Amino acid sequence: MKKGTMEMKYYLWLLIMIIIAIGISFPPNDLWAQKALDARLGPEGKAGQVLAAKAGEPTGPTAMPVTIQVDKTILNNGGTITVSGHAAPGQPVYLEIWSEKKVRASRFDADVDKNTGKRPYVLCMTDEMPAYYQIYVPQDQKGILDRVKKEGPGWSLTKVLKDLGAEAVCSVPLQAKIDQYQASLMGSIIGSRGELLPIMDKKENARRSMQLLKARARKPEKLIVSAIEMAPDGAYHAQVKIPDGLVPGRYSIVAIAGGDPSRSQPVHIENQIHFPNIYLANAGTSLNLIGPFFLSLGIAIFGVLMGAGGGFMLNPLLVSLWPLPHTIVAGTVMPTVLFSQGTGIYNYSKIKFINWKLGSAIGLAMVAGGFLGPKLTELITLDQFKFVFGWILIILASLMFWQTTPRYLSKNKKEQAILKEFKKKAEETMKKK
Amino acid sequence: MVVKFWGQEFKVNVILGCLGGFLIAIVSSMFGFGGGPFMVPLMTVGLGLPMYVVVGSSLLAIFFNTMMGTMRHYQFGNFDLVFFAIMFPAAILGGFIGPQIAKRVSPIAMKRIAVAGLLLLALNLLGVF
Repeated sequence: MKKGTMEMKYYLWLLIMIIIAIGISFPPNDLWAQKALDARLGPEGKAGQVLAAKAGEPTGPTAMPVTIQVDKTILNNGGTITVSGHAAPGQPVYLEIWSEKKVRASRFDADVDKNTGKRPYVLCMTDEMPAYYQIYVPQDQKGILDRVKKEGPGWSLTKVLKDLGAEAVCSVPLQAKIDQYQASLMGSIIGSRGELLPIMDKKENARRSMQLLKARARKPEKLIVSAIEMAPDGAYHAQVKIPDGLVPGRYSIVAIAGGDPSRSQPVHIENQIHFPNIYLANAGTSLNLIGPFFLSLGIAIFGVLMGAGGGFMLNPLLVSLWPLPHTIVAGTVMPTVLFSQGTGIYNYSKIKFINWKLGSAIGLAMVAGGFLGPKLTELITLDQFKFVFGWILIILASLMFWQTTPRYLSKNKKEQAILKEFKKKAEETMKKK
Repeated sequence: MVVKFWGQEFKVNVILGCLGGFLIAIVSSMFGFGGGPFMVPLMTVGLGLPMYVVVGSSLLAIFFNTMMGTMRHYQFGNFDLVFFAIMFPAAILGGFIGPQIAKRVSPIAMKRIAVAGLLLLALNLLGVF
């Protein structure tokens, strides 16, 4: 009998190795997609150049050049800069601020398309989204921003910029080269990106880049800040706050005067961070690595002790404590939890706190269920789901707690026996000491 | 199926367990949730297993799902290597320290720890925090 279970363990590890090997041997579609894209573009060059906006030249005949200056050019992990300058009197002034370092932004479009009534399942991805991007607008437009905040998660960036008269302000993200992939529902479950679609026209690219900006920022107040004070003679100034924990490197600030959009020359700032703050290249933010290390240590211990992964606690905590984008957090927490589970399984098997047959049987049933789940997202909304399962968990937790009460234990002989055995073992170890 | 643990035998209805796991996985993967926290009550209340066996087995059950989810996120590019490198040693350490603590703690206490975890998740879902 023992020999049988030993063999089972080895087969299981073999299965795991095979799954990992398959997962690794499908390289992220990056390599193929880049080659396909380059082949498509041919000698005309990258799409980004076609869409680049011209900067620095005043347009109409009566346009006055917009000036800009800053009070400091070096920041130590964030800080406040006073930006000031001059524009034509009576025109609103906006600031476009972006970091030189770019980061990947992606968005999986699975919402029902209003025109066709179907879900497109298109993955939009770019590697050229500025890691830090903000638009500053005049203070008197605060009312518009407050109204947008109340709209909730369905707000539209394009609409907000229109309401603010700032359509021409957003230019840097529009230059990002965005790839679109046509994915299938099954493909999204196993993680295949799907087929690369043809390059979009300027308008569609602009629309997609707005969506990606919004997906990365999530809340309007993270992208748009109303803080520019305007004087009647056309002078303006603003306190630009660069929070800590953001991307290091060069930042550029450009002032744009509304109405007839003329842009100032860009001003450059250097944001420096020092160890133990380090820069997370894919997330586009930096953080002090001591915090997350101890947090994930504590949660890993708790999760392994509990028999669950710990991801359900690590995820919201990481997002709320540090300025990390939630998609990167979700994607990085999962492999972390995977390894804590793996070492937990290994160590539990050493003390025999595990049953291989049961665990793997249920495990395979779960994998089957995992394929089915994403197809059914249309049946229930997230809020309903949260409400129902919040309460189900409370009921289950109370049932489990009831199992620890003395009344239950007195009726359940087996649990009593295990408890006795535990006490015996505890005494034995005490005696040995 | 019969599960033997510390000299006691527990009769387990495997069909029920697999069905439960299947349903839980459907429901939790609808929104990208790991099924972990739901697996523990399934095994203790649903299948009547002692907590000590449950912790290891539930980790094993959700391991495969987590692996698939990891590969999926990796393909979508949601992975930051530096960030992972920070948390990875913590996860491994946690996987070693956890069972050491589990060995020394009574099954009653372990169940209560799990109850606390479930309550935290429930409050999170219900929007309390």
